[in-house]
Amino acid sequence: MTNTASAQKKKKRLSMHQKQSLAGWAFLTPATLLIFIMSFYPMFSALLTSFKRGKPTALVWSDPLWRNYQFMLKDKVFIQSVTNTLTYLIIQVPIMLILAVIFASLLNNRDLKFRGLFRTCIFLPCATGLVAYSMIFRTLFTYDGMVNNVLIKLGVLSEAINWLNDPIYAKAVIIIGLVWRWTGYNMVFYLSAMQSIDYSIYEAARIDGANSVQQLMRITIPLLRPIILVTAIMSTNGTLQLFDESVNLTRGGPGNMTITMSHYIYNTMFTKNPNFGYAAAMSFVILVMVAVLAAVQMKVGDKR
Amino acid sequence: MREGAVRKHVTRTIMYLFLIIASLISVFPLYWSFISAFNNTQQILGGWMLPSTHLFENLQHLFEQHNVMRALKNSFATTILQTLIALAVSSIAGYGFEIYHDKAKDTVMAILMLAMMVPFVAVLVPLFQMFTKAKLINTWAAFILPSIATPFLIMYFRNSARSFPRDTLEAARIDGLNEFQIFVRMFIPMMKPTYASAATITFMNAWNAYLWPKVVMQTNEAITMPMLVANTMGGYVIDYGVVMAAVTICSLPTVIIFFCLQKSFTNAVAGAVK
Amino acid sequence: MVKNEQIAVENAHHCVGNYDRMYTRNRHKKVNGSAKSTKHTCVFASICFAEKKETTTKKEEDWIFMKKFVTLMLALAMTISALGALAEADGKITIWTWDPTFNIKAMQIAKEMYQKDHPDVEIDIQEKLSEDIETAVIASNGDTTTLPDILLVQDNSFQKFVTNYPEVYADLTGKYDYEGFAQGKLAYSIVDGKNHGIPFDAGTAVAAYRTDYLEAAGYTADDLKDITWERFIEIGRDVKAKTGRPMLSGQAGAVDTVLIMLQSCGASMFNEDGSVNLKDNEQLKEVIDFYATMVKEGIFIEVNTWDEYIGTLSNQTVVGTIQGCWILSTIMSLDTQKGLWAMTNLPKLVKAEGATNYSSNGGSSWAIVNDKDLDLALDFMQMYRNVDFYNEILPATSAIATYTPAKEGSNYTAGSEFFNGEPIFAEIVEFGAQTPSNITGPYYYDAREALGTAITNIILQGGDVDTELATAEDTVNFTMGF
Repeated sequence: MTNTASAQKKKKRLSMHQKQSLAGWAFLTPATLLIFIMSFYPMFSALLTSFKRGKPTALVWSDPLWRNYQFMLKDKVFIQSVTNTLTYLIIQVPIMLILAVIFASLLNNRDLKFRGLFRTCIFLPCATGLVAYSMIFRTLFTYDGMVNNVLIKLGVLSEAINWLNDPIYAKAVIIIGLVWRWTGYNMVFYLSAMQSIDYSIYEAARIDGANSVQQLMRITIPLLRPIILVTAIMSTNGTLQLFDESVNLTRGGPGNMTITMSHYIYNTMFTKNPNFGYAAAMSFVILVMVAVLAAVQMKVGDKR
Repeated sequence: MREGAVRKHVTRTIMYLFLIIASLISVFPLYWSFISAFNNTQQILGGWMLPSTHLFENLQHLFEQHNVMRALKNSFATTILQTLIALAVSSIAGYGFEIYHDKAKDTVMAILMLAMMVPFVAVLVPLFQMFTKAKLINTWAAFILPSIATPFLIMYFRNSARSFPRDTLEAARIDGLNEFQIFVRMFIPMMKPTYASAATITFMNAWNAYLWPKVVMQTNEAITMPMLVANTMGGYVIDYGVVMAAVTICSLPTVIIFFCLQKSFTNAVAGAVK
Repeated sequence: MVKNEQIAVENAHHCVGNYDRMYTRNRHKKVNGSAKSTKHTCVFASICFAEKKETTTKKEEDWIFMKKFVTLMLALAMTISALGALAEADGKITIWTWDPTFNIKAMQIAKEMYQKDHPDVEIDIQEKLSEDIETAVIASNGDTTTLPDILLVQDNSFQKFVTNYPEVYADLTGKYDYEGFAQGKLAYSIVDGKNHGIPFDAGTAVAAYRTDYLEAAGYTADDLKDITWERFIEIGRDVKAKTGRPMLSGQAGAVDTVLIMLQSCGASMFNEDGSVNLKDNEQLKEVIDFYATMVKEGIFIEVNTWDEYIGTLSNQTVVGTIQGCWILSTIMSLDTQKGLWAMTNLPKLVKAEGATNYSSNGGSSWAIVNDKDLDLALDFMQMYRNVDFYNEILPATSAIATYTPAKEGSNYTAGSEFFNGEPIFAEIVEFGAQTPSNITGPYYYDAREALGTAITNIILQGGDVDTELATAEDTVNFTMGF
């Protein structure tokens, strides 16, 4: 009696499990199919192109196949673009994420007045169109622009800096622009995630004598770990593929000093004499870089 | 006791000050573009910070030279469509990845993430050719298809699916709900903050999308707002007043959407711990 | 998890009437786990199975609203499906061009004039930025189905596009009469000896100065006519000393001015055979010498952005500018400065052979796309041999013809109010006829970028001219060596 019953139960559990599993795969299908068609097919096509050379409408196989990749190592501008992009990555992403966490935790505080207003203000930079944002930044950072004036008045600078024409300061403008623009974006995700942290935990901590900083470090950040990982990967991806700021803020900077990898690829395809094979090859190098960094971040950050 | 209160007061003042300065810095460019819509070219290039009286003529020129209503209509339609479909497709995928988690799905996820790591510029041409062959140029399908399933959104929803209580899930199954019903009737209402924040972000990205739409929406009938703004800057003579008027109009929808949706993802749901 | 349970409980309380019924029913079901699960079950079950609720929660209201909103938006979006026609051979001419106050306006006038005699020809003018047109051609990869009949191409890019996309650009040699067009301008659209374009607006360079500032330093506009760069620098020093103002301005690293100066003696960044000409380009070195001197002495100020450059004119910080004649439209839009400007030709180089006082910067030409209505398009483009047409578009757009007979038109010979009655347009057409052409080639923008980097290094970091030019040439050779 027991055997049949348990056997029946097992059979039932299996088919139910199968049903669920099927449902699980069904849920994935639309998205996965779309990504395969929209991203992988072109990506594969680009990979093939990276082994070819010649005019865009008359591509021929390179000889040797990895010729474009060889050229990359000798291309000074490409190396400059890689250095620039990595510089932006290392400096901008941590600053931005830390600021976003700070803002999110400040604005999650129940007793703070005008929270809605502050939130909207800090998110606004993302909503500001690219045109306005780049025009304003370019205007602010000119030789006799507002930034120089304010800094001189405050005594921080003794002489005005030629921001956009200086190899180092032009990079600073891009980093400042990125932090300004995207902190609010990440803040939104953190705020949203913080809603599932129970307020009573903070109350208990406060009773135990923890101050705000300790609450932030010991409670908020560990609980936000998954979302911080997601935003870190996204920000890394975004910064490594940086394009808009390089094109609109500094136009590649004084003599390619601030150009990013994506911008250089764009130039290689659309501005200069079109060299699709080379552009594709550079894209794949970026792909490898981003993939490696993402894998590292996942390994370090992802805990089930 | 008093010292603690003073310290608390100082901390709070610093906090407010910090937030006010951050807000001012954040808002300034939008404020400037809004003010500039009231000025003419000479005033804008001269760095005026206060509004003048040229708003009417700027708007007049803008509407005369460019078909703003059509661009707005197109932008709204494609953006809303993209937001809704993206949320639907990506959230269910994220849910699927997390709830039915197994090794195979992890691998698939990792492969999908590869997809977002290629610079868009590189896939632009093959993608365009694909759509040309499918005769989908200038349609809303071309606008939204590449962007509705992004690994990012999937990852985001997968993340939030982690906090979906398993025993609730089990109980619902036992009650006879099928998987899809569980998703629609339980997951979606419960994850309102996630959906609201994802909606805001998707809306913003779709609204401001420029590179792909300008390649694939080629006729003037299909023009979107960001393209129109770029067009205002494309002449030998740039009328900066017109540019700023267009920029302001283009920035408003995202701001409004954020303002409306922010309560959904930032306020604790009614009924939390008293 | 704690919080969600709370939510569940709270929501359950809203289910008036159904709660108890559900709870009782489910209590008898076998559920794995503790009593907590049972509670969960009934709570969620009550939400799911409750049919009529006395009070709809905010959530439900939002959901209903969402559904309505979604339906509405979907309907709205569906209307987009019926979108504009793609360009085809269909008795209709589609034109892609940019700038509603310039190129588009000109084409609209052409359309009106053409449709007077050919009323049943449909002409569709689409606004598209220059860079967008270029992107569209590149993205099409030679497939002309998505391209229009006629499109506008910037002269500097013409060679690049025809060389790389020969399937796209129709060969017009022998099919269109090119007599009367300025040779220098025509050269841009000739690739491998074949004509692929119809010249449009002149990019002829002019020098425009503020007469009031010149007067303050004791000069007139005539003093700056037909001079050399050496003399110009002398005058510039004097003006700067007496008025504190620089003579000229330009965007840093954009090499517009350098290239204008280079072209004035007929030299280019490339040789006849297509090889790069930077390292041993003596004329270029002379140009850079003058340019660097001017920047150093503050006679020429480099600004960072295009908007700033326009700003120097609008905010009256500079005495004048040397630029393609299209800058005059911008200047003329500054109403407060009416009557204060004069126009003349450029200073010329000293040592270079073939130095002239004339050059050009910019300008575009029309190209016709293959596999479309070639004959119809050519017939329409006869408008560009029509003196009345050029006369008509001049006041409306300030587009100056490169078709020399146009200078007889009444609007060309008429004086410009802004410029104190000077017949500037007729003068510019004459300048155009004397402008030497230059060699662009497909790698023009590569060389331009490399030269820009070199000049930035020379000006900002005090780099050595020969070394920098050698580096620039290597960079371009590298690109060409693929």
